[in-house]
Amino acid sequence: MNGCDVEPTQLLIFYHHSSYCSAAALQRDLAAVCGWITHVLPCSAAGSDSKAASLHWTAERVLSIALLALGPVAYFSPGPFIDYSLAAALTLHGHWGLGQVLTDYVHGDTKVKLASAGLFVLSTVTFAGLCYFNYNDVGICNAIALLYSK
Amino acid sequence: ELFLWMNKFWAKNSSLNRPMSPHITIYKWSIPMMMSITHRGTGIGLSGAISAFAMAALILPGNYTHYLDLIHSLSVGPFLIGLAKFGIAFPVSYHTYNGIRHLYWDIGKGFKIPEVYRTGYTVIGLSVITSIALTLM
Repeated sequence: MNGCDVEPTQLLIFYHHSSYCSAAALQRDLAAVCGWITHVLPCSAAGSDSKAASLHWTAERVLSIALLALGPVAYFSPGPFIDYSLAAALTLHGHWGLGQVLTDYVHGDTKVKLASAGLFVLSTVTFAGLCYFNYNDVGICNAIALLYSK
Repeated sequence: ELFLWMNKFWAKNSSLNRPMSPHITIYKWSIPMMMSITHRGTGIGLSGAISAFAMAALILPGNYTHYLDLIHSLSVGPFLIGLAKFGIAFPVSYHTYNGIRHLYWDIGKGFKIPEVYRTGYTVIGLSVITSIALTLM
């Protein structure tokens, strides 16, 4: 467009995903779009940043599909491989999802850094706990199955 | 780029101590809006529950079957058991079905307003049916 690597479809997708319920989010995005259109944005390192963001977006969707596929696989062939795959997929999907929530609601450099650090700790502990459960206890698949063997 | 511009937007407006315009307090709620925030709410809730489970696994002394037996021995009535099962089943079902709806949007389909409502009602219906089935099983 003006030498930047920003894809209009990506902007549309950002807009759709942020405009769920709050007019503030709408206002914010509209302001951002207007700023983008009037070339207020610097463009030098923008290319690699938006490429990274675009790849992250795609990775999120790939992971979501993988997590969907794990469901039936876990049902029909439970076992340690699925248990650890579920632990990883669930934790990462939650980590990225909560990351989007942070991006929407937390503003200001210090607050963002603090919240991101907190999220990282939470996700790490979560993954560690799930792996511990898989290794030392019955594992995720069996845990769910046991709920229904009452 | 966009991200940097938005940072500047927030920095400027908060440093000028500008109040935020009323938005969710004045805008008329719609089904798509409610479904969207429910998707976010169930996502946060499920994430929290998984993290709580993981931390319990690390901290609590007994193992899983020990705590299951403990709950059995409490002789909690079937209604409350059902309520608890539904409380887990509904967020999982809703977030999963609405997640598929999101992926459908991500391939660029279903954006026309009637389609948004149609897929929305489908998600709600499927979620309720699946949750009831998972509760009664």
